[in-house]
Amino acid sequence: MRGGRGETPSALTSISFTVPQGAFRWLLGPSGAGKSSLLRLLHLETLPASGEFELLGVDIRPAVRRSVLARLRQRIGMVHQDFRLMPTLSVADNVALPLRLQRRPEADVSTEVDAILNWVGLAARKDARPAELSGGEQQRTAIARAVVARPDLVIADEPTNALEESQASRVIAMLREISAMGTTVIVATHNDALVRRFPAPALRLEHGRLVTNE
Amino acid sequence: MSDRRGRRVRDGLALSHALPDRSLVAMVAAMSLLAALTWAGAFGAWSLSARWAHGAANLVTIQVPDPDRPASLPSDDATAQVPVKENQTDHQRSRIDAVMDVLRAQSALSEIHRLDARELDQILRPWLGTSGVAALPLPGVIELHLAPGASLTDGLSSRLAGLAPGTLVERNDDWRSRLQMVARSLLACAALAIVLVGGIGVAVIGMATRLGLGARRESIAILHGLGAADGYVASRFGRRVAWLSLAGGIAGTLLAVPPIAIVVRFMAPLSGPQAVTMPEQGYSTVLPEAFAAFTDGSVPGDLMLGFVCVPLCAMLAALLTAQIIVRIWLRRLP
Repeated sequence: MRGGRGETPSALTSISFTVPQGAFRWLLGPSGAGKSSLLRLLHLETLPASGEFELLGVDIRPAVRRSVLARLRQRIGMVHQDFRLMPTLSVADNVALPLRLQRRPEADVSTEVDAILNWVGLAARKDARPAELSGGEQQRTAIARAVVARPDLVIADEPTNALEESQASRVIAMLREISAMGTTVIVATHNDALVRRFPAPALRLEHGRLVTNE
Repeated sequence: MSDRRGRRVRDGLALSHALPDRSLVAMVAAMSLLAALTWAGAFGAWSLSARWAHGAANLVTIQVPDPDRPASLPSDDATAQVPVKENQTDHQRSRIDAVMDVLRAQSALSEIHRLDARELDQILRPWLGTSGVAALPLPGVIELHLAPGASLTDGLSSRLAGLAPGTLVERNDDWRSRLQMVARSLLACAALAIVLVGGIGVAVIGMATRLGLGARRESIAILHGLGAADGYVASRFGRRVAWLSLAGGIAGTLLAVPPIAIVVRFMAPLSGPQAVTMPEQGYSTVLPEAFAAFTDGSVPGDLMLGFVCVPLCAMLAALLTAQIIVRIWLRRLP
């Protein structure tokens, strides 16, 4: 993945970086540095006003077709700090959403969802609604949903913000495990303790500019 | 998870809770009711005008007041052209016979028919009932059919009036064109009404769709982020709104059937040969008979086809409207 050039969202300027496939990267920086803007750009929630960038081998321009963006989003898993689960769906149905959007056979969906819920330790809560879960359980559900379709890239925006330390460590450990299986993972955080506990190369942003790529 | 839940689309949109189902069905039903009534009215006007115009073609009606009174003495010119039966003098002839004799001498006529008492009674029964005909001094009525391309000779009216004062010659061709103009005007009004009803229906469907979009803004954003294409979200809304509109369309069309059936029943004397009187035992006896018209095949096929088309058009309009509105709304998302 190569990062953007030119004028992307106004919070970001002249950013250029590459993250190899299967790598784990922290995205660090103070509040207002542009971390969320960069993540929204990578998740295609915003498009560059001008300029271009390449994401998963696809050139992203302002005039790119919407169907291309939709297919590209299916190759990206996103974990938000506020989980963004469907309140009317069970844990299993929430996790199954990416597979159903890809029109996978229902038998495959059931198998994949059971496997991923076992992995995140929520097999026993598969029929629960999000409102019945703790914060940690909701975040693990969100992670399960993000990775169930085996995406090429997983992006996590402050995924541990609302969690206790033990739950936060468990979430990051899962994301590292996903990375070890070959998926590129970028995690934005301002939790330095967590970064020290899980050392990995970092992208550091300040005032919308990339100051460190190590 | 139960089988019932398993058949539902489990994507979190839960459109059965997001859309104003009952209001949408009720509004589409009202629009469909109006459309069905308008269609029936337009079809009825068109059918009647077509029937009347067809019947009026080449038809001339002559009314002879006091038909059995002796005919007036004709002028010399008229006498020369009116054949007189051997055993009958001018003084003995009735007015109707004198008029018939003059008409038989006309070469332009292909058929001359004097309506007898039974035929007059049948024509007037819808308005006068069974007891009123005998009490009235009715004129003699003669139907003439002109040969193709022929026309009545000049001065025939005055000649007949000379034999039977007050004789009225009605050339039905004259108002045939007026009927067609009236029918065309009614059809234009009906078309305008249907367009207006359709426009209001589309606006209602559009508002309902926008309400649903507003209620499911966050869910749509989540699905969008997971890679749902615009077509997926649009088709989910489109299918739901289309089914609701189909239900409303069917309900509205069915509601239109009773009043249309009653109108068809009362219009029967004007559109067909059967004579039907106003109900003497109230509408409860009319309705079953009127409904029978829908089952015994006496309701025209084109009219029934229109009724079938109303809910289908409502469904199609809803599908397209919802799809377009959702796709436009989704443009605010990248």
